[in-house]
Amino acid sequence: MSTQLEQVLKKQQQQQKAPLETDIENIIQLVGFMVGDEEFAVPILGIQEIIKPIEYTRVPKTPPYVLGVFNLRGSVLPLIDLRMKFGLSRSKENEDTRYMVIKHNDEIAGFVIDRLTQAMRIPESAIDPAPETIHDEQNLIYGVGKQEEKLVSILNVEALLKRDF
Amino acid sequence: MDEFQEILEDFLIEAFEMIEQLDNDLIELENSPEDLDLLNRIFRVAHTIKGSSSFLNFDVLTHLTHHMEDVLNKARRGELVITPEVMDVVLESTDHMKALLEHIKETGSDEGALDVGPTVERLEAVLKGEAPKEAEEAPAAAAEPEPEPAEEEPDLSEMSEEEIEAEIERLLQERQEEDRKRREAKRKAEAAEVKPAESSGEPDLSDMSEEEIEAEIERLLKERQEEDRKKREAKRKAQEEAKAKAAQPREAKETAKSAPPATPKQKPQTKAAAPKERKASVEQTIRVDVKRLDDLMNLIGELVLGKNRLLKIYDDVEERYEGEQFLEELNQVVSSISLVTTDLQIAVMKTRMLPIGKVFNKFPRMVRDLSRELHKEIELVISGEETELDKSIVEEIGDPLVHIIRNSCDHGIETPEERVAKGKPAKGTVQLKAYNEGNHIIIEIVDDGKGLDPDMLKAKAMEKGLISEKEADQMSDKEAFMLIFKPGFSTAAKVTNVSGRGVGMDVVKSNIEKLNGIIEVDSEMDKGTTLKLKIPLTLAIIQSLLVSVQEEYYAVPLASVLETVRITPDEIQSVEGRSVLRLRDEVLPLVHLADIFDVERVFKMGEHAYVVIIGLAESKLGVIVDSLVGQEEIVIKSLGEYLKGIEGIAGATIRGDGRVTLIVDVGALMNMAKSVKSTLQNLESQEAVREKNSPADYNILIVDDSKTDRTIMRKALEPLGISITEATNGVEALNIMKDGSKSFDAALVDIEMPRMDGYTLASEIRKFNKFKQVPLIAVTSRTSRSDRLRGVEVGMTEYITKPYTPEYLMNVVARNINLDAEQRS
Repeated sequence: MSTQLEQVLKKQQQQQKAPLETDIENIIQLVGFMVGDEEFAVPILGIQEIIKPIEYTRVPKTPPYVLGVFNLRGSVLPLIDLRMKFGLSRSKENEDTRYMVIKHNDEIAGFVIDRLTQAMRIPESAIDPAPETIHDEQNLIYGVGKQEEKLVSILNVEALLKRDF
Repeated sequence: MDEFQEILEDFLIEAFEMIEQLDNDLIELENSPEDLDLLNRIFRVAHTIKGSSSFLNFDVLTHLTHHMEDVLNKARRGELVITPEVMDVVLESTDHMKALLEHIKETGSDEGALDVGPTVERLEAVLKGEAPKEAEEAPAAAAEPEPEPAEEEPDLSEMSEEEIEAEIERLLQERQEEDRKRREAKRKAEAAEVKPAESSGEPDLSDMSEEEIEAEIERLLKERQEEDRKKREAKRKAQEEAKAKAAQPREAKETAKSAPPATPKQKPQTKAAAPKERKASVEQTIRVDVKRLDDLMNLIGELVLGKNRLLKIYDDVEERYEGEQFLEELNQVVSSISLVTTDLQIAVMKTRMLPIGKVFNKFPRMVRDLSRELHKEIELVISGEETELDKSIVEEIGDPLVHIIRNSCDHGIETPEERVAKGKPAKGTVQLKAYNEGNHIIIEIVDDGKGLDPDMLKAKAMEKGLISEKEADQMSDKEAFMLIFKPGFSTAAKVTNVSGRGVGMDVVKSNIEKLNGIIEVDSEMDKGTTLKLKIPLTLAIIQSLLVSVQEEYYAVPLASVLETVRITPDEIQSVEGRSVLRLRDEVLPLVHLADIFDVERVFKMGEHAYVVIIGLAESKLGVIVDSLVGQEEIVIKSLGEYLKGIEGIAGATIRGDGRVTLIVDVGALMNMAKSVKSTLQNLESQEAVREKNSPADYNILIVDDSKTDRTIMRKALEPLGISITEATNGVEALNIMKDGSKSFDAALVDIEMPRMDGYTLASEIRKFNKFKQVPLIAVTSRTSRSDRLRGVEVGMTEYITKPYTPEYLMNVVARNINLDAEQRS
């Protein structure tokens, strides 16, 4: 019994220690999601909330990827389809679809994503700048985060919220 | 430091308030230089600011106001005549004073703001020659009235102990009263805010300690008894008595002065100060931070949205639970809440209201300066300055009015010679009027100048390439007047620094339109010009007309809606490739809102079209919409940074059902309409009819919120071998259908479902051209006649009541999708 307890305590201590060690390095917390077949992520601090799809109103004279505006508890926010923004076909709404409300300073907008994947912690050292071969005028990609077996594109929140029309 | 900051803030608020009044007083003074009241008022402002600024160590400001004070003091005592030249100097120093105060406000110091040296010299020059410089405190001393005791003294010797006691009391009170009166008189003379530091320098009864007062009473009493005894002994009459009376107050004053000031905060003093305060604040007011009012207004906005939502829900509930007991109660609550909300909204709106006089105040001065600069004689007549409107509008309206009045003075009013030659009085008049009209405030600027010449305006506009010759020919006089609001249009032959820089009037127009306002111009040659501004009382909450275009609703500010008409398509005529509508004796350009906004037309066009006639300034436009939804009070919300500035959209609002509705920008709409060609032909959607070879090519949509029901239907239809898609409510079903990835041959629709019920779904589906023929089969346990009738009304094809046999359902579906018996195999 006591040995069990000890083991548990030890385990806890180890767990507590572990993050402390890595904290010395800057760790970025990200929320991963799918748009099309690719996984993207944005820093968790840039996300205000994630909601299930609700009704939106189309706004004329805007590019196709601006789906319209929606009502988030009394605020009118723009809704942007990330698939279309990335040049893919328009999202088909299903039960995994989410609106991700992203905020940077005073600018705020909802983005349609296909599916949430996971929350992740990536040390800054494991994030490479976006490869130069990616022709990216809008600077949408902040960097590429390396995880054990896959790569994830980290989006630049500021650029996402920048109006380009 | 904080305390200083607080004093400084108080000082600034006070100073700005006084200055606001000052300009007007000064102008008035020029017209009636004899008005002593006015002079005193002006003098007091200078004096107060001087006093406070020296206390706060603003040396430059003190220096300037000190000299102003001197000049004004002289005028006040009739030693100086206020000539326009003197006035110029005084006004100039007032301007400097303002500038210095602004500088203090921004930097906290008055140093380095500007050089007041020359102005002070001029002030001194005005002073010189007539009389030597006066002592600055002179007015205060001179105005101090001598206390004059007049009451009869009662004979002390004939009094009892109590009576003497009472007499002492009375005397003391009298003295205090006198003291207080004197203090007040002095304060009045100085007209400065009561500064405790100032008044405490003069010791009086109130400054004495209990013992000292006791001693004083003792002494006075003895004195009086002594006197009385002498009086009785000598039997001397009136002369003697009069002397005693005269001596007493003087002595009292002396003793009071000799007494050292002890505890300064005692009751009598506060008592003495209180009456004055009460007098000053007949209107009880408190200062409130504007931000708090704004927050309050936002909250009210939310409340109004909530109210709208509640009303909408009540409507739904009423429909569904007709005749139930609780409906009546609900109705009462809903109506009382909506009533209170409306009252609350009005009340809060009123707290934000300011009299337009706040803006008008600065114009007399401006017109005066202008008339001197332009060598014209102009009188500004202001009326309706008490008319109130929202603070945010008061702030915005100032600049446009400045431009308009400048224009009237510069371009409108002629020189005195010209005017006399035309047989008009040499002095021109500019009238500034404000009055209420419904939910709007009207501001009129009327001048009796030379008026606008439509032909000249047209010629000028053509010369500048603003309009074509053809446009000019078609233009009415009124339209020609509106040319003055075109960017880059200036009618002044010579450019002065007053106006005529080619900016101004177009800015005026856009500013007024920003406030949802309308400008009208009327003019007659040599008679004058009238500009009429029509501005809503408040900005945040407006009345709007809701219209629907395809799937969306739009809100049109009701202020811009002139009328709505219903027309048949044959009434739409085409002129030069554009659609027009003949309405009574007018021909209006006509556009479809969907064309302006490039909204895809998926709905059929009915046999009627609704036209909303919108008007802005002189131009009118007929906007075709699919239907009129109704009038609603809406709260304007911004679309945010990302979407701001979209042409034609002024903002958004959240409606009762929680949906976002866009608010149309009428001004922009007018412009956009010009580039829309006639596209009023009906666009039939060309859906390719796919060949159906096997039953699996048939698609059926099952809409029901119950999983069991869906499964029963699915099972029942399985033998047919057709493809089945399921949806759990109306919204989902509608989205699946609109999505277009599958085309459905029929839909089985339950009536009672969350989010959107079957009736609504049916009517939504029927709005689409391409779904007009899709069979809709209601499957429900609602069996009453009215339910069935309603089903037919909204476009249901069949009505199946639960429970049903699987065969029956199968047969109905098969019949509706024309599934051949042979295909069913």
